[in-house]
Amino acid sequence: MTPDRLRADDFAPYPAAGRGFAVDHLEMLRRLPMAICPSFLQQILVLDTSFPAEVSSLQRQCDAIEHLEQGKFAALVSPFQHLSIPAHLEESDWVQSPAKFITDLTAYLWSSSQIDAFRSAAQKLFAAIQDSTLYPHRLTMVVFGRDARTTGTPLLTKLRPRGVLLTALQTQDMPGQIFEVFSRHAKESQEPFAHWYVDGGEPWTQEFGKVPGAVSISYPALDDLRKRTLAKMEEVTTGGSGGAELMRARLTSMNAKDLDAGSVTEDPVLARFYTELFTESSGPQLFSTSFVQWTGRELARRAQPRTLLLRYAPRRRYQPFNEMLRTADPEGVDPEGSLRDAEMGAYYTWIEMSRIASSGKNTFIAWVEGTSQAILAGSSAPGGTQCDTALRLKDALDAFG
Amino acid sequence: MLSRRILSPASISRSRREFLQGGLGLISASSMSGFGLPMSRRLVAPSPKTILVTFGGGARDSETFAQEGQHNIPHLLGELLPQGTFFSQVVNAGILGHYVATASIITGTWERFDNFIAAPPPNPTLFEYFRKGLRRPSTDAWVIAPSNGFQRIGSSSSAAFGPNFGAGVILPKRLLSAALHDGRHDSDSLAHLLQDNYEMPVYQPAESEQDRELHLNMLESTLSVSVADFVRHAQTLDSADELSIFITGQLMRQHAPSLLMLTLHDMDIAHAGAYSLYVDAIQRADRLCAELWNMIQTNPEYKDRTTLYILPDFGRDSDEDPAGNGFQHHRTGGALARTTWLLALGPHIRQNAVVERPIQSIDLVPTIGCHLGFSTTSPGRCIGELL
Repeated sequence: MTPDRLRADDFAPYPAAGRGFAVDHLEMLRRLPMAICPSFLQQILVLDTSFPAEVSSLQRQCDAIEHLEQGKFAALVSPFQHLSIPAHLEESDWVQSPAKFITDLTAYLWSSSQIDAFRSAAQKLFAAIQDSTLYPHRLTMVVFGRDARTTGTPLLTKLRPRGVLLTALQTQDMPGQIFEVFSRHAKESQEPFAHWYVDGGEPWTQEFGKVPGAVSISYPALDDLRKRTLAKMEEVTTGGSGGAELMRARLTSMNAKDLDAGSVTEDPVLARFYTELFTESSGPQLFSTSFVQWTGRELARRAQPRTLLLRYAPRRRYQPFNEMLRTADPEGVDPEGSLRDAEMGAYYTWIEMSRIASSGKNTFIAWVEGTSQAILAGSSAPGGTQCDTALRLKDALDAFG
Repeated sequence: MLSRRILSPASISRSRREFLQGGLGLISASSMSGFGLPMSRRLVAPSPKTILVTFGGGARDSETFAQEGQHNIPHLLGELLPQGTFFSQVVNAGILGHYVATASIITGTWERFDNFIAAPPPNPTLFEYFRKGLRRPSTDAWVIAPSNGFQRIGSSSSAAFGPNFGAGVILPKRLLSAALHDGRHDSDSLAHLLQDNYEMPVYQPAESEQDRELHLNMLESTLSVSVADFVRHAQTLDSADELSIFITGQLMRQHAPSLLMLTLHDMDIAHAGAYSLYVDAIQRADRLCAELWNMIQTNPEYKDRTTLYILPDFGRDSDEDPAGNGFQHHRTGGALARTTWLLALGPHIRQNAVVERPIQSIDLVPTIGCHLGFSTTSPGRCIGELL
C-alpha cells in the first residue's frame, strides 16, 4: 500500500489521540511520499504518551506542510519520490508498524547508496517547515566534576568561547542557590513537564520535584528499569547468535509495561520517556554520565524544557562490555573520566538547548562542582571573556544571563 | 537559533591542512615533483612488504588532526607524519559500518552487504589479488582483527578467487578465549582484553573443542608462543588493541609476511557515550602505531622495505549534526562521518608531505596493486602520489 490509499479506517487501532490527529490530517498524509509518511505516523501513533511540546511541534509541522504552496511542496517531496523502495517494504504493514518500516528502509537506503539523497531531501523539507515559533526564555544549568581532581587540566575548553568564565563563583550552599534560581525561573510557567532536574547520582535534597511543572529524576531512581534492560541485553549476548541489530531490535521492542515503568511513575508520558531512555539508546544502561547526557538531549528534543538542571555523578569504572552487562551494581568509580565525559556532555547540552532557543533567550551555566569555576553563556555574556569578581549564582545570572 | 552548519569534505580537509602546514611546516603535493624513488634504486630494492592499519571505530578530526585534537596523537603527528605523506581528504562513500567499511577498503569496492553478518565479501580482497597475482604462499598474507564479526574478511566468495588465495585471519580475542578455556589461568584478570561494545557485542561463541584446538594450534605453530607465555604476556597488556599489536609482532618475527592488515578497534567504545574512553583509545592507537613503526624499523625483514598505510575506516558524526549525537555514533552519513585521512610511510613514499586533493578509501587496493605489480578489478584509482 502507498500513502495515497490511506483511509480513516486504517487508524482505527491507533490510540485515541493519534487516531484523531491522523484523521484530521489525512489529506496531508496521503500526499506524503512513501519514504517519509511512516516517520509522521510513528510520531502520531504515540501521541497519547508524548510531551505537550512534541504534540505542538508535530502539529506545527503538519500545518506548515498543509500550507505549503503546491509547487514548493512538489519540489520538496520530489527527491523522496525518486528513491527506489522495495515492493516488500511498501507491502508491509507500515501503518501499524511504522518504526519497523523506518528501520528496514534505513538499512535499505544505506545498502542501495540512497542514504545521502534521503538525508539531503529530509534536510531541505524540514528546513522549509522549520518552526518559527518565538521560544520562551530557557535556563540550563549543568553541574559536573564531583570528586574529580581538576588541577592541571584545562576545563570547559569547548564552552569558553561561548560565554564568560567565572573564576570566583561563591559556592557556599550551592545546591540551595541552584534551587533558588531554578524555582525563580520556573515561576514563569507552570505547564507540565516544563522544568527538569536530572541527577546521575543521589539527588540533592532540595525539593525540585515539588516546584510546579517540574519533574525530578535520578539514575538510582530508575535503577530497576536499567537493570531489566541490562538483563535483556545479556540475554542477547549469551544467546550465541545475532548481533548488534538483534540487540537493538530486542530493546526497541520493549515498552513501558515490559520494563514495569509503572513501578516508578503512574504518568504514562513519563513511563514511556523513562523506558525509552534505556531501550532506545546506547550508553545509559552502563554509565551514569551517558544517562545524564542522553536524558538532556532527549529532553531538549522532546519536552523542550524551560528550566533544565543536569547534574553528573562519577560513573562506574570501565570494565569489559559483557562484564558491565552482568554486574549492574559495580564497585569503583572513575571521577576523572566522568569529568571529561561530562564536559563533552555539557557542550552537547548547550548545542541542543541552543537549537530550541530564540535569540537572546537562552541562559546556560556549567559549573564544575567543588570549584569556583563556571561558564555562563547568555545574552549579556560576551564569549571568551573572564570574570574574576566574587559572585553568587543569582547575581551572576542577573549580570550575564 | 543555532545555525545547522554542515561541513563539507573540502572544509574538513582545509582545516586539517591549515593546521598541519601551520604547525609542522609540511610541504603540499602541488609543490612536489617526481614522487618516489629513482628507477635505479627501485631496481635494487628488496621485495617490498605492506602493512595496512585501519582504525575500526572511526576517529574524528576534532580528536585527531584538527588543532583541538592534536594533543591526542603526538606520535602520529610528531614522529610518523614527518616521515610520510598525509592525505587530508579520504572519502568513504559506502556504508558506515565497521565490517562492511573495512571490507570495502580491502576489496577496493563499495561493498553493500549486511554489516552485522559475518559473511565473506563478494568481491576479491587485496589478499587474494596479491597471492594469486604474485603466486605467494598462504603464510605471506595475514589479517589481525579484534572482533568476532571479522572472521570471514580474509577472502571473498568470488568464484575466481576465494579462500585458497585468502589471508590467514587471526582474531586475538578468540585466541585468548581458547587459551583461557582450560581454567588454569585467571580469566578475570584478562577480561579487559576481551572487551567489545554495542556495535560488536561479544557472544558466547559456540566454539567446539575442535575450534579451540585450532586456535591453540595457531598459537603454538603459527605464532610460536606457548599458551602459558601467551597468557603471561597478555596479563601485561591494557587493551584488545595492545593484544593485536603483540600478535602482529609475533607474526612478523615468525613468518615475516609480505602483506599484513591490522584493525585497531578500542576506540569504538565511543558507542557507549563515554568521551573519555573514546579519547583514551585514540591516544592508545596513536602510541601503538608508533610502536608498530618501530617494530618495522627494528626488524631486518621489514626495515627499509615496508610501506605502512594508516587510515580510519571512516569518521564519526559531527557535534553540530542534529541527526546524530556527536562523537558517539556514525549514523548520519554526514560529511564528517564520511571524510577521514590516510597516512602512508615507506621507502618509496615522499616524506613530510600533505596531499589535499580528495581520494577514496577504495583507492588503496589498486594503489597497492600498482606498487607491488598485480592487477585488480577495483573501481578505485591508483593514488599517483604513492607510486
